Amino acid sequence: MSLWWVRTLVRLVVALLLPLSVPCIIVYLIWALPGDPASIICPPELCPNTDALAARWNLDQGPWHFFASWMEAAMAGDFGRSWRLEPGAMVAERVAESIVPTLLLVAGAGLLNAIGALGALTGMLPRRLHVVFQWVGLVPSLVMALSASAAITLGWIGDGTGALGLRLMLGALVLGLSDAALYSTVNGVHGLVQSERKQRYAQIAVLRGEGVLSNVLPNMLPALAGQLRARVVHLLSGAVVVEVVLEIDGLGDLLWRGALQQDFVVVVATAFFFSLMSAGVLLAQALVELVCALLVRRAPQVEAA
Amino acid sequence: MRRRARHLFFAMAVAGSALLCAQTRPMSFYEETLPSTLNPLFARSMVDSRVHEMIFDRLYFHSPITNELTSRLVESWAVAEGGKAVRLTLKKGVKWHDGAPFGADDVCFTIDALLNPDTPSVLGEKQRAIFRGCKSESKNVALVQFTKIFHNPLERLAIYVLPVHSFNGNTAIQPDHEFAAHPQGTGPAKGARGRRGVTFNSAPNLHHKLSIPTMSLQEGSDPLVQVRTLQNDGVQGIIAVPPGYRADVAASDNLALKSYDLRSWWFVAVNQNKVYLKDKRSRQALDMLLNRTELREFTIGVKPNEQNSPCEFISGPFVQSSPYYNRSVPVRPVSDRDTAETLLLEAGFEQVGSRWHQNGEPVTLKIGIKASLDLEAPDLLSYIGNQLEAAGFGRQEYKIGIDDWNRLVLTGNAQDYDLLVGKWSFGLVEDVNPLFHTRDKQGGGARNIFGFSNPEVDALLQDFEKARLDTQAQDAYHKLHEKLAEELPYLFLWKLDTKSAWRSNVRGNTISPFYYWTELDSWKYKP
Repeated sequence: MSLWWVRTLVRLVVALLLPLSVPCIIVYLIWALPGDPASIICPPELCPNTDALAARWNLDQGPWHFFASWMEAAMAGDFGRSWRLEPGAMVAERVAESIVPTLLLVAGAGLLNAIGALGALTGMLPRRLHVVFQWVGLVPSLVMALSASAAITLGWIGDGTGALGLRLMLGALVLGLSDAALYSTVNGVHGLVQSERKQRYAQIAVLRGEGVLSNVLPNMLPALAGQLRARVVHLLSGAVVVEVVLEIDGLGDLLWRGALQQDFVVVVATAFFFSLMSAGVLLAQALVELVCALLVRRAPQVEAA
Repeated sequence: MRRRARHLFFAMAVAGSALLCAQTRPMSFYEETLPSTLNPLFARSMVDSRVHEMIFDRLYFHSPITNELTSRLVESWAVAEGGKAVRLTLKKGVKWHDGAPFGADDVCFTIDALLNPDTPSVLGEKQRAIFRGCKSESKNVALVQFTKIFHNPLERLAIYVLPVHSFNGNTAIQPDHEFAAHPQGTGPAKGARGRRGVTFNSAPNLHHKLSIPTMSLQEGSDPLVQVRTLQNDGVQGIIAVPPGYRADVAASDNLALKSYDLRSWWFVAVNQNKVYLKDKRSRQALDMLLNRTELREFTIGVKPNEQNSPCEFISGPFVQSSPYYNRSVPVRPVSDRDTAETLLLEAGFEQVGSRWHQNGEPVTLKIGIKASLDLEAPDLLSYIGNQLEAAGFGRQEYKIGIDDWNRLVLTGNAQDYDLLVGKWSFGLVEDVNPLFHTRDKQGGGARNIFGFSNPEVDALLQDFEKARLDTQAQDAYHKLHEKLAEELPYLFLWKLDTKSAWRSNVRGNTISPFYYWTELDSWKYKP
């Protein structure tokens, strides 16, 4: 009996739990830091009456109370106000402003990877280019981003003003190429196609004069969705470094600055949105698996002799 | 014909957009850091004070031009309640940035907010010793009541006024109130904080006419990058140029160095709670081991006999130009190892080999420096460490970030350290009471780094507080200077000039002591 649904179910459950568990873990980590959170945010010598502040910020009754009240407010769309990064600023507004650059950055890098994947899928990308991607991918994102930043600052690229569009474009390029992002995509898709092509049904289709891709693609879809999910999560985490170095006002930069300033409310909210995006990708993968399982008639996995 | 018209249209469009760009290009400048808040009740740093000066008006301030105590908000004043209050008649027609009228309710609201114990503000705690209350007698008349008779009550009114309508009358103001991000002031510019800077837009008012439409504050990074960006017209000014880069700025025809009178002096705070530093002779010995002339030469680049040096030695907690500086206390430009060794032996130290020991243990000093000072005096920490190590002390060196400095050092929670290198800056009023008074629950000694406590020092600080005449205040602080030079809670180093750099197309830029932007209305900028 096939248990194909177990993995899909696990993905669905994880996707639902992720946005709840990530903020919760962060809140408990904050409480694990030495000193009480209210005094970390504002020491009594700088903020007289810290107890009142702690009560106001729900920091006075332990991590669960803080998490529960934060989550309750978050469900109503209220993510509170920044305590230290930009005191008084609405966190929801800052997050909303930051999501667009992050999505553009990830989408740009994703597009690059999608083109690579398409090339690998259709066989239009010459195999020798894989080596080039492999070598380029050896450069860490931090090094590549620093080089891009230097190029912008010194005026080698652009007019030296470092317009957001240029930084986004370079950022997407860095994110899409570094840390073997493009190489993994191309190589992964190529490997998948090659292994699927060896299947008997694919070989028979070739003998019948049918196209290979139209035969193997439906069978490959769940595996491709898995690759895509891994790639998007990789790009999302890489976006933090790229945004910080290239001064892009995205979600990763907000998370970084919030952590540096120990602005817990900003950190928790940003991490929540990152986990939402990861959950969305997981959900999409589960959906593809579900659709494929229900609608696609899978060929038996037998290799050609 | 049509082609010519099209060319003409394009030429006009290009010229028009160039003109528009030129007109709307903001005057940008580098600050040391971003402000921690735009709400003046919660100001923590010099950057905060400077930024608040652009957005708000203080009730009274010293004119940087005439040095007179004056006001842009008050029409006239009179003593009331036998000297324990002043009646302020406010100017009519002054408006907040959102157009609401400014009035006596705002003045009284500000004082009530300062007095409200639920407003978690250090500034508020200090003001509670000064203000008793405030009554709004009419729309434009406020009666400000003091806790006691002050010989110059208007000096006590250098407070920023907040709008009552922004807080709906709630005097318990919190640091994360929206106001801290989008403040309403009566100052020359309306400010809005972004993630990487602050934008200021001109806010014409009855008492302010700022001719620069938009200004942009950016966080300064590496000084070399700042100077290069200034030279390339990427920004138009730098608030503080480190000494090592001033020659570079001075050599450029398009740039001008401007003096910024900060009355700031450098020190090494000594932790007298440590067993080996408790005896004042050991602190005096450390003072004698420092060769300040070498430190100044190696870190700031001042030659031993250089004329007009930007850096002059001090022997107490005031700059030499201050009326409080006691000239009878000599500075110590070079080290005196022989006397230092005698003092250390008297204080119970033993010299084993080349190392100083106490109670059989070698003494290793943990030395910290406020990291940002490294830009002004590069490697000062290492040079101090080298000198002490050459004299026989072990050393561990640490650079302390601005956040930890504010959170740990200023709050007296950095007791791990033996020595801390820092800098204090003052305006015209050099009140050193928070630095040396015993820490107490009434807010005394709020900036006492290592919890120094000395009854004689406390008494002198009280004398200064009670002084009704300038001569009494000077007398108290002269004695304090002498006492501190003997007790040495700090090893006093030097006063270092602060210089700003501005491009020559920024004109009329009068820089006020401490607050910098007090005369912002006179500034002009031609992009």
